[in-house]
Amino acid sequence: MREVSEVIIRSESDLDAVRAEVEAADSGYRYKLLVCLGAGCISSGSEAVRDALLEELGRRNLSEEIRVVGTGCIGCCGSGPVVLVQPDGVLYQGLKPEDAIDIIDGHILNGVFIERLLYKKPDDGDVVPLMKDIPFFKYQTKNLLRFCGQIDPTRIEEYIALDGYRALSKVLGSMTPEDVIEEIKSSKLRGRGGAGFPTGLKWSFTRTAKAEPKYVVANADEGDPGAFMDRCLLEGDPYSLIEGMAIAGYAIGAHKGYIYIRAEYPLAVNRLRQAIEQAKDWGLLGNDIMGSGFSFDIEMRMGAGAFVCGEETALLASIEGKRGVPRPRPPFPAEKGVWGKPTALNNVETLANVPMIIREGAEWFSGFGTGKSGGTKMYSLAGDVKNTGLIEVPIGTEMGRIIYNIGRGCREKKDFKAVQSGGPSGGCIPKEHLSVRVDYETLDELGAIMGSGGLVVMDEDTCMVDIARYFLEFCLSESCGKCTPCREGFLRMLEILERITTGEGKEGDIERLEELAHIIVDTALCGLGRTGPNPVLSTIRYFRDEYEAHIKYKKCPAGVCEALFDSPCQNACPAGLDTHGYVALISEGRFGEALSLIRERNPFPSVCGRICTHPCEFKCRRGETDDPVALRLLKRFVSEYVSAAPRSYQRSSNGVRVAVVGSGPSGLTAAYHLAMMGYETTVFEALPVAGGMMAVCIPDYRLPKDVLNAEIEAIHELGVEIKTNQRLGEDFTFDSLFGQGFKAVYLAVGAQRSRALGIQGEDLEGVYKGLRFLMDVNLGEKIELGEKVVVIGGGSTAIDSAKSAIRLGASEVTVYYRREREDMTATDEEITEAENEGVRFRFMVVPTKILGEGGKAAQMLCAQLRPGEFDSSGRRRPVPVEGQEFTVDIDSVIVAVGQTTDLSFFTNEGEVSTTKFGTIIVDEDTMETSKTGVFAGGDVIRGPATVVEAIADGIKAASAIDKFLGGSGKLVEVTRKKARIDEIPFDLEAEIVEQRRVEAPLLPPEERVLGFREVEQGYTLNDVIEEAKRCLHCDRKLME
Amino acid sequence: MESILFNEENIAILKEIISKYGGRPEGLIEVLHQAQEAFGYIPKDVLVEIARGLNVPLTRVYGVVTFYNLFTMVPKGKHTISVCLGTSCYVRGGKRIMEHVKDLLQIEDGGTTEDRRFSLDVVRCVGACALSPVVTVDDDVYSHVTVTKIPEILSKYE
Repeated sequence: MREVSEVIIRSESDLDAVRAEVEAADSGYRYKLLVCLGAGCISSGSEAVRDALLEELGRRNLSEEIRVVGTGCIGCCGSGPVVLVQPDGVLYQGLKPEDAIDIIDGHILNGVFIERLLYKKPDDGDVVPLMKDIPFFKYQTKNLLRFCGQIDPTRIEEYIALDGYRALSKVLGSMTPEDVIEEIKSSKLRGRGGAGFPTGLKWSFTRTAKAEPKYVVANADEGDPGAFMDRCLLEGDPYSLIEGMAIAGYAIGAHKGYIYIRAEYPLAVNRLRQAIEQAKDWGLLGNDIMGSGFSFDIEMRMGAGAFVCGEETALLASIEGKRGVPRPRPPFPAEKGVWGKPTALNNVETLANVPMIIREGAEWFSGFGTGKSGGTKMYSLAGDVKNTGLIEVPIGTEMGRIIYNIGRGCREKKDFKAVQSGGPSGGCIPKEHLSVRVDYETLDELGAIMGSGGLVVMDEDTCMVDIARYFLEFCLSESCGKCTPCREGFLRMLEILERITTGEGKEGDIERLEELAHIIVDTALCGLGRTGPNPVLSTIRYFRDEYEAHIKYKKCPAGVCEALFDSPCQNACPAGLDTHGYVALISEGRFGEALSLIRERNPFPSVCGRICTHPCEFKCRRGETDDPVALRLLKRFVSEYVSAAPRSYQRSSNGVRVAVVGSGPSGLTAAYHLAMMGYETTVFEALPVAGGMMAVCIPDYRLPKDVLNAEIEAIHELGVEIKTNQRLGEDFTFDSLFGQGFKAVYLAVGAQRSRALGIQGEDLEGVYKGLRFLMDVNLGEKIELGEKVVVIGGGSTAIDSAKSAIRLGASEVTVYYRREREDMTATDEEITEAENEGVRFRFMVVPTKILGEGGKAAQMLCAQLRPGEFDSSGRRRPVPVEGQEFTVDIDSVIVAVGQTTDLSFFTNEGEVSTTKFGTIIVDEDTMETSKTGVFAGGDVIRGPATVVEAIADGIKAASAIDKFLGGSGKLVEVTRKKARIDEIPFDLEAEIVEQRRVEAPLLPPEERVLGFREVEQGYTLNDVIEEAKRCLHCDRKLME
Repeated sequence: MESILFNEENIAILKEIISKYGGRPEGLIEVLHQAQEAFGYIPKDVLVEIARGLNVPLTRVYGVVTFYNLFTMVPKGKHTISVCLGTSCYVRGGKRIMEHVKDLLQIEDGGTTEDRRFSLDVVRCVGACALSPVVTVDDDVYSHVTVTKIPEILSKYE
């Protein structure tokens, strides 16, 4: 590296000369390879990558032509180590030392980009070579961070060459202290530490304070867990802070500054120390800066692991060598700060912005941001988000844009739940508010704070009650102990939260937490105490139902609070199946017992083993290592291997009659359990066949009818009477049933009315409703679809319609969906298999009109959509793109855009209370409707949902009806002898080795489309045991 | 509590550290940092010397040492394992990693193994949140840590 000589800067032209020298030194290089040496990349091994590059260049004698620069954080920390090749602007990521050779050979010597090391777009796999085009960077505005990742942070001359120290030169040469303060005021710069106090105002208070000497203090004690922006800035560009502090000193009349930096940042400490030394050597710090007569010196002070020292008065105490205990204000630091003297105490980011404001002007700066706040803000994006790292966006940017455009949303298909803003002092923003324009006031209104800028994204696997407890525990352990509200108050709050998360929550706990929180907020001495309750208040505000689930039902929906469940899989199953139990039995080859265990609750293991959406698998902890255990396929195996019900089971009847309306999964499950409990149960079904959606809407290739009928037959064998062709409202009514002697009625008629698109032409021939279409196919009706079929929708019905269309001979089947692929409610497996069978997909489109010829559908007018603003579902609402309508020729259209309930059977208006969506209202605990003795469950109360939820409702209803009729509500166990699961040996010491899921064979796509043969083949005996042995036995807890 | 100042060399080192801030109470935290860096921990006899050298009451020195998490008055293990339980690491499974390490080494948070090989600490954020869950052993930072990787990581340290 060509050296640039150290020089004492005395004027602007001296700065010019340095720049000229740096540019000259650089001009000899053909390429510059910027290797990120931020702390994040270092821990991913970037130093070895840099060394490999240097070595390789040395070997080929290219060191004089190609320069390798170790820079600060480039920002995409999750993809490190990274190298930016200048002047091309190409970014390579995920590097290993051995990649150095390819980069030099391919790119440097032959001008060919190394594709495998480039960023790939997730939807189509296209590579994006240029850093500025990569979404993560494209949507950012790197003003403050423009040096970070571009310069070598150990060379002040590079900072100078890019306009460093121009601001200080301008200030010392042509501005008065009052001028500077005015400029900062009009820039609308506000404190970046979190409180957002206007910086110009703070400086003017400090300037007008009478006492001497005055001080500038930079708060680099970035203690918020989840925040690392200041760290990155200091490691990558320590000079902006130093220049900013000198300007601040000039403005307020101080000659000494302190940087208080936490000890956990050793690299930043070193780079700052080095930068201060260099600045002194070059005459830019210390006595008589640039010959102006103004002197300013900086001393560094290290923290020692106390979060409270990020609070201003505690920080000042720590600089004085004392315990970091806050004191009351007023007097504020501007009047009485360190050593009792006037002190301008600002956050690192605030001060680092100052040179830029002076150089570019307040108007330019305030042009970014909102009416109240000027400029950009750095954020550290972390947690359950795909693109983690350091970012910078203008204040007022939409939160959804940060999480989705830059962060690319949550990992691994998990749903976004909330984003924590402001660390332990902040609050969570749920998906309803992703449209919020992030600013100090807007976040305050939502119960959160801007804070220092740490954004931690939380997905559906996070328990918000647990998070509240976590933050409270943190605040309590970091509390200095001086004031009672904080010291005692947090302890009491924590006790309540501990009880709630261990299953001992009591009625009134939420109110107690709120009361305590408000007292502490009003009376605590410092910021830590006053903001500590925020996470609790915020989570109660948006996730009260989660608190209630913990307290009232002792349930943790997210599957985190281990005292409230046995295993995450069982906890996630709406039907509460003993999943870990049957997996353990299967691993021992005890298939009969496994099946019995399943059938204790679920009478449809064959069905669920094929079509369940398996929420259990999404929570399987094995999935964190490699793949979740294939719980669905395990269930399927035992349902086929062992014949259905133990026929020897005798049950005794109690003579009480119960009616069930609807023979879908919910109705039949309820009938099954009621029969087991001894009730004389009759099921009334409107269609000619039993089974509901399972029979008529799920095609044979997913669920063969003989399999379903075997399980329905098993229920019939328990003594349940199933009467088909019996329609509620026509053949019988609730009252007629009670008149016949039935003592209770369970209504489980589902949600079978297809939603319409509401566009012109929907009534033309050739336009089908999805459910009706599938029903016709299942009942063997002949349907002429033609060649070109378009299916509208994104759920299972749409996918099944498309697959059925292919099997019926259509040559061109396309699914049109109004959002993106990842938004489809159909499972990944379903979508991929459809593609393998030849179904095509078109996203972000919606039909606007269907045109007919001779009464038959012939063409479809469509609109192209683009993502608009975030709506209350936390997704971008699709809006039409002007001028991009198009027409397609079609033979048939199948509309599968959702279902609603069909309550036309109600003879009297208001006989049973319903919601405005048409679903029936039931009591949460008893499942009773507003009509005494009539209970309801399944899709008719939930809206279109899943089979397993319908089964869960059936179980709950049977229990509730039993209680209603005087029983205990306890389900009857099928097995006479309960499987002794705890006997199964389990090796505690066994090491967990990575082993992916056993694949189950599928019929090849070419064979599938010839008919409706079942596609999935299921496991063999050896495979199923091997798969079951992958279970981590999360239910086994060590007993002390 | 074990004593440090039983030999000439240590006494000299401590004198050198104190001399930079002689008679200045505000240097207390800096001095404690350097003493801990030199000796690994700060027992009572060292505190007494510091109090004397900086002209600060011993109770105040004791108050500062026990207030800040970084300082320790008892010897630690040869290697310090810090499991980060900052928000991002917590959300990405840090707690389970902590439990696993505690299990493996049979020690609690803040404890040291019998053979003095490892000490275990919780750290509340090292600022590498983008790479969570994070575990540091001495100055080495490990990212995207999973339960299966722990034995391998620990085996690198004698």
